[in-house]
Amino acid sequence: MEPDRLPARVLARVVLRSLLLQGSWNFERLQSLGVLYAMAPALRFYYRGEELIAAGKRHLEYFNTHPFMASPVLGAILDLEQRRSRGEEVSVGVQDFRRMVMAPYAAIGDAFFWGAIRPLAAGVALFFAFMGSLWAPVVYLLLFNFPHLWCRVAGLLGGYSLGLRIVEVIRRLRLPDLAVRFKEVTVILLGGLSAWLTFFSLEGEGVSTGWGLAVIPVVVLLSWLSRQGISVLLMVLAAAMVLVLSAQFG
Amino acid sequence: TMPAADYLISGAVAVGVGLDRTAALQVMISRPIVAAPLTGWLLGEPLVGLQVGALLELLWLGRLPVGAAIPPDDTQVAVASTLLTITMGESLVLSGPPLLLLCTLVAMPLGKIGQLAERLARNWNGRLLIAAETALETGDLAAAERSHLWGLAHFAVASLASFAVIVLTGTLTLHALVPLLAGPVEAAAGGLRLTFPLVGIAIILGSLNVKRARTLFGASFATALLLLWLL
Repeated sequence: MEPDRLPARVLARVVLRSLLLQGSWNFERLQSLGVLYAMAPALRFYYRGEELIAAGKRHLEYFNTHPFMASPVLGAILDLEQRRSRGEEVSVGVQDFRRMVMAPYAAIGDAFFWGAIRPLAAGVALFFAFMGSLWAPVVYLLLFNFPHLWCRVAGLLGGYSLGLRIVEVIRRLRLPDLAVRFKEVTVILLGGLSAWLTFFSLEGEGVSTGWGLAVIPVVVLLSWLSRQGISVLLMVLAAAMVLVLSAQFG
Repeated sequence: TMPAADYLISGAVAVGVGLDRTAALQVMISRPIVAAPLTGWLLGEPLVGLQVGALLELLWLGRLPVGAAIPPDDTQVAVASTLLTITMGESLVLSGPPLLLLCTLVAMPLGKIGQLAERLARNWNGRLLIAAETALETGDLAAAERSHLWGLAHFAVASLASFAVIVLTGTLTLHALVPLLAGPVEAAAGGLRLTFPLVGIAIILGSLNVKRARTLFGASFATALLLLWLL
């Protein structure tokens, strides 16, 4: 007897539970228990008794990827589990698929969401913040969460309906290239933001605008120092100490 | 509001936004630019939170929460700095932006506490994995699912603990430092205000891995400065 496709309410539960993927993150197997938690409503639909427990154990294996990119993976696994529960032949096993995609998807997600979208959203929001506008957090949340939630929801549903073909769809999105473009935009934005902050700061202190250009080598030096492993904490505290001491004795 | 209520409200925010860091959602309400204004808004001074958030946002943004890496807890630093700025003004001779800057400077190093607390929570979660395995051995899937949810409690405890330590240590440090530093911090406020974002921007430039990032930055900076000067 063939079980039907997952009802909408079960899919909805899997999507919602996937938002808690890292709730029990641990050093032994990272997101594994989170995967089991997210998949459980679907596994209950596919299997009973011994088979259900065996499926549970399959998903408790080591798992680690970017938390948002996990959604298309989970979606495709829903499809694989469904085929397996029907006794269909599948070209790739559930565990093999997990092992195959988690590392490349971690790299893609880290570079795209953490490395590109987050700094870009922050750069835009900071313009609002330094203008004193309370829209800053709202803008930040909107810019970040549109791609985020799209990946979580559409990724999981797409993975379920396309199965392994979701891998090809994601490849065609060219997220790594997009990440590079976004990062370039962020650099330009941050250049503008620094100039803007410097300009008004100099104006406030009554110093000539031309001195602002001195900020470029300072920022470049600080950026080089950070790449040499000097911590941000040290830089801020050292700069603060210099400023405070020069105010005290200057 | 009463100061006691301020501490309770901030503690609740600390837990809520703290969970967003790793354990739940990750919709970025944990970022300083969101968490600090939220705290400020609930305490009746949203603009204080906005300024704290803007100072802190970029500093650790380049530290990616990848795999087992745990960045310093800028969420709790943001919530605590906002609370300290709003509540400490009455008992100290310092107020306004200088107080805000000093509170943020004092709270910043304490972000390490949050890092440690989160590491402990993740260690603690190792037990949940064992509990879940045992549950599955006895055929109890529901118990394994409950194990997962306990992890949220571990992360919540870690957030609340870091928040409490930062607030407590910050309060004591401020009482010790303000009499010594009130004058110089007031005099240096303009420079300090510029220091945070510029250091943050420099760090992001270093971490973005874009070809010719510094050249692109310099060109953009010079163009923008010229435009501002002309207009």
